[in-house]
Amino acid sequence: MTTVTKTKKTFSIADLILGLIVVAGVVLGIIRLATGLGPTTNLNSSYPWGMWIAFDVFTIPFSAVAFTLAAVVHIFNQEKYHGLSRFTVLMGFLGYLMVVLVLVMDIGRWDQFYSVLMPWRWNLHSFMFEVAMSITLYFGVLILEMLTIVFERSGSPIVDWLKRLIVLIAGVGVLLSCVHQGSMGAVFVILRHRVEPLWWTPILPVLFLTSALFTGLSVAIFLGVVTWKALGKPAPMKLLSNIARWVVIIQAIYLVLKLGDLLLAGEFGLIFSSGQFSLLFLAELIIGVIVPLVIFGSQAGKSEGGLVAGAVCTVVGILINRWSISWFALNPPPPPAHGVPMTYSPHWMEWGITIAAVAAAILFYSLAVRFIPVFRDTVTGKAH
Amino acid sequence: MKAVLVDLVRCMGCRACQVACKAWNDNPGEVTLCLGCYDNPPDFSGDTWSLIQFNEVETGEELHWVFTKRQCMHCEHPACVSACPVSALEKLPDGPVVYHAQKCIGCRYCMLACPFDVPRVNWGEVLPEIKKCTFCADRQLHGMEPACVKACPTDALVYGEREELLAEARLRIQKRPDKYANHIYGEKEAGGTSWLYLSPVPFKELGFPELDEEPVPELSETLAVYGTPSMLVGVAAALGGLYWFTKRRAEGMAKQGKEE
Repeated sequence: MTTVTKTKKTFSIADLILGLIVVAGVVLGIIRLATGLGPTTNLNSSYPWGMWIAFDVFTIPFSAVAFTLAAVVHIFNQEKYHGLSRFTVLMGFLGYLMVVLVLVMDIGRWDQFYSVLMPWRWNLHSFMFEVAMSITLYFGVLILEMLTIVFERSGSPIVDWLKRLIVLIAGVGVLLSCVHQGSMGAVFVILRHRVEPLWWTPILPVLFLTSALFTGLSVAIFLGVVTWKALGKPAPMKLLSNIARWVVIIQAIYLVLKLGDLLLAGEFGLIFSSGQFSLLFLAELIIGVIVPLVIFGSQAGKSEGGLVAGAVCTVVGILINRWSISWFALNPPPPPAHGVPMTYSPHWMEWGITIAAVAAAILFYSLAVRFIPVFRDTVTGKAH
Repeated sequence: MKAVLVDLVRCMGCRACQVACKAWNDNPGEVTLCLGCYDNPPDFSGDTWSLIQFNEVETGEELHWVFTKRQCMHCEHPACVSACPVSALEKLPDGPVVYHAQKCIGCRYCMLACPFDVPRVNWGEVLPEIKKCTFCADRQLHGMEPACVKACPTDALVYGEREELLAEARLRIQKRPDKYANHIYGEKEAGGTSWLYLSPVPFKELGFPELDEEPVPELSETLAVYGTPSMLVGVAAALGGLYWFTKRRAEGMAKQGKEE
């Protein structure tokens, strides 16, 4: 690059701290793989799933940022979002990378993960199979999309070839993602005896897909504002406000689906009669749907602060939702008559690896944006 | 289809079955605590796949001390088998639900999917396996009855064909309605199980889950078999249509722009 940009190209204290957390996380990861789940987690027979599964169940809709923008650019042919979509692919790629790494930590037989890739072992009845297969395939799509972006201007024939196929690659990615986000919800359908009734419904796959759509778009809004500001440029407000309008529509649909489903099932009263679960449920709806609807639907949605606030609320809401279904409201079985009921709160190493995964995503994102020319030039207006 | 009839009226709580299970499967004993009852250990674990629970149940004026043999129910439509992504759990045609450790990825979905809370892992192992009663599939293969049934001194456990055992169970209820609750647990629960129970008290009192006749995995499997392919086709068609439509519109607008 011959162009001189004013953006910082040096490492900061924050990079160092994040880097140290990531290194610590790698050490903890090695300890986990070498010693098993017993010494490194507080999982037990009443709580076979814990924080790591919950992390993945949340990070998957968070990473919907990549496929939602890919759909806007390549399926809806909205070229003007192309620049922004480079960042959403980067975030989606890092998100799924963290999902895969944390999943390797979580599965007891990580040494036999290849089982999922053997067609004669596939269980087409299992939504866990669908999720595992979709993660694998879609991660492949994200790698291709990343290659296309990072080596965009290399002139390599492979990249040119990828560019020509990008609509097909992105299309497959969008298709896989829609099925994948839905099947993530369908995983909990067979767990009816475990999931608190306030959350269990046969339309869980529809709710998961719908909420993944507005979460992905909200993360795109957030990245748009924060990345542009961090590099000293005004955020592309027109584009981001347009996305916010879509978020409003999808959140409204989600709200109708969620409340309508409870009404039709005759379970509307559960919203207020489920004790502490009622609080969780209401927190999710108010923070994650109603507040963003008000912000994005009003004049506040046309300011940078408003966009960030609405997007952050949406993401916090979806965090509450996914962690409720996969953790807080995933009830233990009734204890045996004379046994001691078991409880679960994450081991410090579960916290450590989860925090390290988040730190790694932030670190790699900020490094890529600062040091890979195409990202920087997108913000400074030097790349289309 | 093979089955076992567990008659809790006949059980005297000797726990020979529990010991026989440990012996046949080479499972070590556990360090246990006195919990103020005879349950020892009180719940399944990676090393304990079969156990007796001791329940004191009052029905009207009578006090029943019921000894409940618990193990995997070997469902006819097992949720664990349906949940397993890599077919590591399998329902054999003869009845046993068995586990193939070399296929397992350790996701523990089976533990959550089981409505009877049966599958366990040894959390202390570096590369753990799912542990549960095998219905002595290895013994059955050689024409032998399960180890626990073999050990039972009072015929509280009887091994045989499921249909014959159901007929026998009905007969026992019919003969002594004063002694038996009028319910064969496992006949219909969750679509039927290979282990069938008779009890002197309602099963609810013994902590058996109240399940309807629909197999636990039914809704999920319907979604997987019909929902997923419909969704794939539907989304693919919608995406293709939208691509075509927006592409044409964009081209139309570009053309219009040129003409102007």
